[in-house]
Amino acid sequence: MVDKDLVAKMDEKIQAIKKAALELKELSGGIQAVDRNADRILASVKMLEINVSDVIEIWE
Amino acid sequence: MPLEKLKALQLIKFKKIVQWAYDHSRFHRQLYTEAGLEPGDIKTFEDIAKVPKVEKAMMRDIQRKDPFPYGDALCVPLEKVTEFHQTSGTTGQAVYQPDTWQDWEWWSEAWSYIMYAQGFRDTDRIFIPFGYNIFVAYWAGHYGGEKMGCEVVPGGVLDTKARILKMQELKATAMMATPTYVLGMADVARRELGLDPAKDLNISKILCAGEPGASLPATKKRMEEAWGAKVYDHVGATEIGAWAYECTVQPGGPHVNEALFLVEIEDIETGEIITEPGRQGKLIITAFDREAQPCVRFDSKDIAEWAAEPCPCGRTFRWIQGGVVGRADDITKVKGVLLAPSAIEEVVRSFPELSDEFEVIVTKKGDVDDITLKVELVPEAADRKEEVEARLVDQLRLKTNLRYNLEFHAYNTLPRYLIKARRFKDLRKRH
Repeated sequence: MVDKDLVAKMDEKIQAIKKAALELKELSGGIQAVDRNADRILASVKMLEINVSDVIEIWE
Repeated sequence: MPLEKLKALQLIKFKKIVQWAYDHSRFHRQLYTEAGLEPGDIKTFEDIAKVPKVEKAMMRDIQRKDPFPYGDALCVPLEKVTEFHQTSGTTGQAVYQPDTWQDWEWWSEAWSYIMYAQGFRDTDRIFIPFGYNIFVAYWAGHYGGEKMGCEVVPGGVLDTKARILKMQELKATAMMATPTYVLGMADVARRELGLDPAKDLNISKILCAGEPGASLPATKKRMEEAWGAKVYDHVGATEIGAWAYECTVQPGGPHVNEALFLVEIEDIETGEIITEPGRQGKLIITAFDREAQPCVRFDSKDIAEWAAEPCPCGRTFRWIQGGVVGRADDITKVKGVLLAPSAIEEVVRSFPELSDEFEVIVTKKGDVDDITLKVELVPEAADRKEEVEARLVDQLRLKTNLRYNLEFHAYNTLPRYLIKARRFKDLRKRH
């Protein structure tokens, strides 16, 4: 059984990756090579959120 | 995860997707407004049933509207759509399915759940004998396999013989195909290449999609014996996603992927949501995280029932007893008797004297329904027609309560199919 602290720690890292990818897009000023790869990172981050972050909401 | 916690998580996710659809799609906003419902009205799990269902016929109407070609259920700007697929059109006009890159990542994720549960690992070399066309199934299987770290071999434009030889040459360990094609390939291997797939090829796992055959014991047995491999089923639809899958324990039906989907079973007569095991109903399915064209309370027309016992595999996702046993719109009355075409398949495939192919034709003679079953004897049983016929008549009457006109055709003369077979032909509407 995975414990809540571990899930919370993983979520912190996931949110950090998401923040970094979004910041990268802001910094790029429309550089295609940056934007398209940042978008792919964000799609993968969403899958991490589904599997990890979303679960925190019901953890007591 | 205990069921109560899972339900709490599902409620949160259901509310989010309803809100997303309401905020971003004209179709959903209008649907909910006409039902007197706002997303904030959903407060408990029981409130979910208040949300109007969506049917395939509605999707066809939606897609006549702007933006072309998807219509006003689209929740993202057109430029965010990166994938086009469409339904097979088995039940009428095909429905288009837009997906964003995030949705496509979600498809791969859903297939990764399936493949991991069925024992696929990064050591597998998967051969996909699929046309790589506008249908989603094995595109998603391909990307899911990649995501799992497997080596994926696209068997696209090759013909059946070339595919079999390539699988042999590469020592592929797994493949994915419709039950019809799995059996058809084995037949071609034996007849045209002189190969026995169970001995001469290296396939240990077969993942089926597109037809119910892998959940029908007689068809599954035929495939497993022909290939010397374990056959696993999964259930999905283009508009919904890959929502259920068998695990390696195979308790007698597939697990619902309750992390990505909400599956409700609805009593066909009363519309009541069935929560207890053992009562068949129609499946209403929601995909929680699909953004381009949300799937919220989609009326799948599939018929199934919850299993009573947890699966020994340890997964807490519930499973459905016997898999999807039919479709509400496939089950038809013939001579006043309710008939599911899968019941005929189960009987025919339980006869080793009969080939894999068969055809059922329902017509009307005057006011009376007439049903014909065409079958083929395998060459080894060619001289046993009378005996097989007598047993077949008995079994059909026992399992379907109907008497058929039986036609025995020469081996290899009934139509062969590459993807989904159309073996049940109801011609009564033409009369």
